[in-house]
Amino acid sequence: MKINDALSGAALVALGAAVLWHIQGFPPMPGQKFGPAWFPGLIAAGLIACGALLAATRLRAATRDPLLALPAWTRRARPLASLAAVVAGLVVYVLAVDTLGFHITAVALLMVWSRLLGAAWRFALPVAGAATVIIHLAFYKLLKVPLPWGLLKGVVF
Amino acid sequence: MKAIVTRLVLAAALLVAGAAQAQYPQRPIQLIVPWGAGGGTDATARIIASLMEKELKQPINVVNRTGGSGVVGHDAIARAAPDGYTIGMITVEITMMHHVGLTALKHTDYAPIGLVNADPAGIHVRVDSAYKSTRDLIAAIKANPGKLKASGTGQGGIWHLAIAGLLKDQGVDPGALPWVPSNGAAPGLQDMVAGGVDVVPCSIPEARAMIDSGKVRALSIMDPNPPALYPNVPTLQKELGSKWAIAAWRVIAAPKGIPADAQRTLGAALKKVYDSKEYKDFMAGRGFGVIWADAEGTAKFMAKSDTDLGATLKAVGLAK
Amino acid sequence: MTLAVLSQALSLVLDPYVLWVVFASAAFGLFVGAIPGLTATMATALLVPVTFFMPPVPAIAAIVTATAMAIFAGDIPSCLLRMPGTAASAAYTDEAYAMTKKGHGEMALGAGLVFSAVGGLFGTAVLIAAAPALAEVALKFSSFEYFWLVVLGLSSAVFLTFGSPLKGVVSLLLGLLVAAVGLDNPAAFPRFTFGNAELSGGLTLIPIMIGMFAVSEILRNVAAMEQPWEMAQARIGNVFTGMWRLAKRYPLGILRGSALGTAIGALPGAGADIAAWMSYAISKKFSKEPEKFGTGHVEGIVEAGASNNSALAGAWIPSLVFGIPGDSITAIVIGVLYIKGLNPGPTVFMEKAPEMYAIFFIFIIANLLMLPLGVAAIKGAKQLLRAPRELLMPVILLFCIVGSFAINNSLFGVVLMLVFGLLAYVMEENGFPVAPAILGMVLGAMLEEHFISSMIKSDGRLLGFFERPIAGALGGLALLVIAWPLVRAWLERKGGKP
Repeated sequence: MKINDALSGAALVALGAAVLWHIQGFPPMPGQKFGPAWFPGLIAAGLIACGALLAATRLRAATRDPLLALPAWTRRARPLASLAAVVAGLVVYVLAVDTLGFHITAVALLMVWSRLLGAAWRFALPVAGAATVIIHLAFYKLLKVPLPWGLLKGVVF
Repeated sequence: MKAIVTRLVLAAALLVAGAAQAQYPQRPIQLIVPWGAGGGTDATARIIASLMEKELKQPINVVNRTGGSGVVGHDAIARAAPDGYTIGMITVEITMMHHVGLTALKHTDYAPIGLVNADPAGIHVRVDSAYKSTRDLIAAIKANPGKLKASGTGQGGIWHLAIAGLLKDQGVDPGALPWVPSNGAAPGLQDMVAGGVDVVPCSIPEARAMIDSGKVRALSIMDPNPPALYPNVPTLQKELGSKWAIAAWRVIAAPKGIPADAQRTLGAALKKVYDSKEYKDFMAGRGFGVIWADAEGTAKFMAKSDTDLGATLKAVGLAK
Repeated sequence: MTLAVLSQALSLVLDPYVLWVVFASAAFGLFVGAIPGLTATMATALLVPVTFFMPPVPAIAAIVTATAMAIFAGDIPSCLLRMPGTAASAAYTDEAYAMTKKGHGEMALGAGLVFSAVGGLFGTAVLIAAAPALAEVALKFSSFEYFWLVVLGLSSAVFLTFGSPLKGVVSLLLGLLVAAVGLDNPAAFPRFTFGNAELSGGLTLIPIMIGMFAVSEILRNVAAMEQPWEMAQARIGNVFTGMWRLAKRYPLGILRGSALGTAIGALPGAGADIAAWMSYAISKKFSKEPEKFGTGHVEGIVEAGASNNSALAGAWIPSLVFGIPGDSITAIVIGVLYIKGLNPGPTVFMEKAPEMYAIFFIFIIANLLMLPLGVAAIKGAKQLLRAPRELLMPVILLFCIVGSFAINNSLFGVVLMLVFGLLAYVMEENGFPVAPAILGMVLGAMLEEHFISSMIKSDGRLLGFFERPIAGALGGLALLVIAWPLVRAWLERKGGKP
């Protein structure tokens, strides 16, 4: 996704302005001259300056690009579906893992992802299982990362 | 066939009943530490975890959840499922942060298991500093308000309160010693040795390496008893006749609403750990103070700490 | 140091149990370092409960070995998958990945391995020889000196920018803004948290790095699935080939990287990651062919690879001598030293001399052991490349998820990873470099803290920043670095358009 520098410059100016507006509500540090608003205020000023400079440079240039240009692959179904699956899969993981447990979620997501990317069932299934087991051994057993058991809680304990 | 089914059903029923009656704990326990790995709270939590493992026959995994002046970790302990499988080490800041307005969390959001440690504040200066005694130091602060600077924890932290409270006790405006916020005692001490600030009021064990290497001098301790590590360091009572005393403490606690049997089991295990030679040796070796209170005693202790520190924070102008 | 002490130290080290611990923790360190999202600091924290049941020398040996291996192993996924295994590899991740794509993967990995060992040995030599003197210098640093040091570090982010410097500055500012989120500021005021407790802890760097470096790469791969894979397909043969030639070609860079790394490591608070960033920038600045940087050129990897491993040893200098941690790893180590009765302080070299020299021997052994074990780790990791990407990508994504989760054991890490993965994808598509943003996040809190501290101490006078001799010198240097591109541009304009 190509965004015209004029547009991203404007977005940066807007971001800087939003930060400046937001930090007006920050209280001063009791007994100190330099409060929590000082540092983000300086960053916001920098963002506004850089954004304005970026937009100005772009607008002065002779060539005129479109504000937004989408690369060729976005007009085809397959890459779009894969990209959406990656993002959607991560969202699903965050929402579902505590209920379903790590193991069920991981196997399911690995299967869906590798199938969507074009893997055959006979590879997708064993790889999903093996990867989940290896991550379980390495993270849960060795490194003691508390991966949630979810539905499997009653089965394991 | 029918007999087999009956037997299976019976066996299953027995298993279920057995599981229901099984003793807590059934699986590993997580112990959350709101401060970073390597600090005093982390070290204390890890020794307790390793000794409690032996008592409870289940692994205890120590997890550091740092950030936000301790709010993040304290919040994680309070919000965990109250099933006895997540506990944590809460510190003195839980009775201070809500007065300052950092968070709404209070000590009453936890089910205490036991009080295990407390370290009184000390007063430290550079070894080549002109101030040889607390009296010299306070006189200098009074004579030149704003000239000397102090550091050792965040704005409104326990050590900031310690020195502000002492100044107020001695009739000096706490604002006469501006506070430079830092991420703990170690960076504050380093800055003092480098000449950045003049006073660091932190606990004695935190300054120990610097004192032993001849960089820092401990002037006094804000406690009725002289420090075990350096018995020659005077108490405020002895030097100034002041009754001002303040200490940072650490408590093992669980989220509120934990089953009563789990709280009892944990309390009994923690008491055994506290009484063990390993714990006493470890704490003595690092110079940490030991103090014990059971669940009920800890709740009272924290309530008193909350009232006292709240009043002091207000008195010195750190809380509204 | 007498012969008796040395032989005592040797007998402590050559104990079969100690050697077994060294070997096991080496394998552990390689594993942790090679997996993106698991840091050397985390490896240390995880080792502490284990070391509790060991005698002093093997306990320290486990940490020394595991961290040295982890910092090197961070280069492996940088090279093969464009994911830094540890923050210390992030400075030259793009460079190493570009080399692998050009078919020079074995040289990138070999340079990472060999010069990691060289830097580690250099740092060890300094640690042994000059520990007390160097720590004295570092101890003279107050917030003024630190402030200027951070400014110097951030200016190096501008040198790291390829393409538009303006976009580099934007990226840096975005990184600084991210660093400002949360309670972790001098006033402990919850900034930009909107009442959310997870946000009040600030945005954790590791999940963000996994997102910006790994997830963005996966997104690019997935979008371009129909085209031939861009992932490095190079055959990786003998990684030691050509290393002697490199050593002869860049002797100054190796020395400079090792020396700077050791010095930065010895400064309290600044560790291997900052050392790598600064060394990479300096390497580019002084290179005879700076235009090749970023296109898969080995020079910066040689210098920064030596730098991050030497920083590891350098960090032990103030830790052992004064009990002040040089980085986050030694912050944990100091606790272990106390537990083991090796209380840090100048006297420890007299009272516990055999143990101290045994620790020095372990440093040497660990850095030598890195060579054979590193080759084994590289060979193992290579298998990742052979796997078909429709199977590999999902598995890597799952590793990213678990790695992001493992830092705080919080799903918020996974959310951060996704958000910053998408952001980095869009940024890179439009020519905004990602590296300055990461540097801004790493140094943002430090910059603010030291600025505010210094302002409070000097009662708001900016001149106070130059009044101390070391601060004045560092400040002058920093201003020169910032002003130089402007001066050069002005000179060029004057010369070009009379």
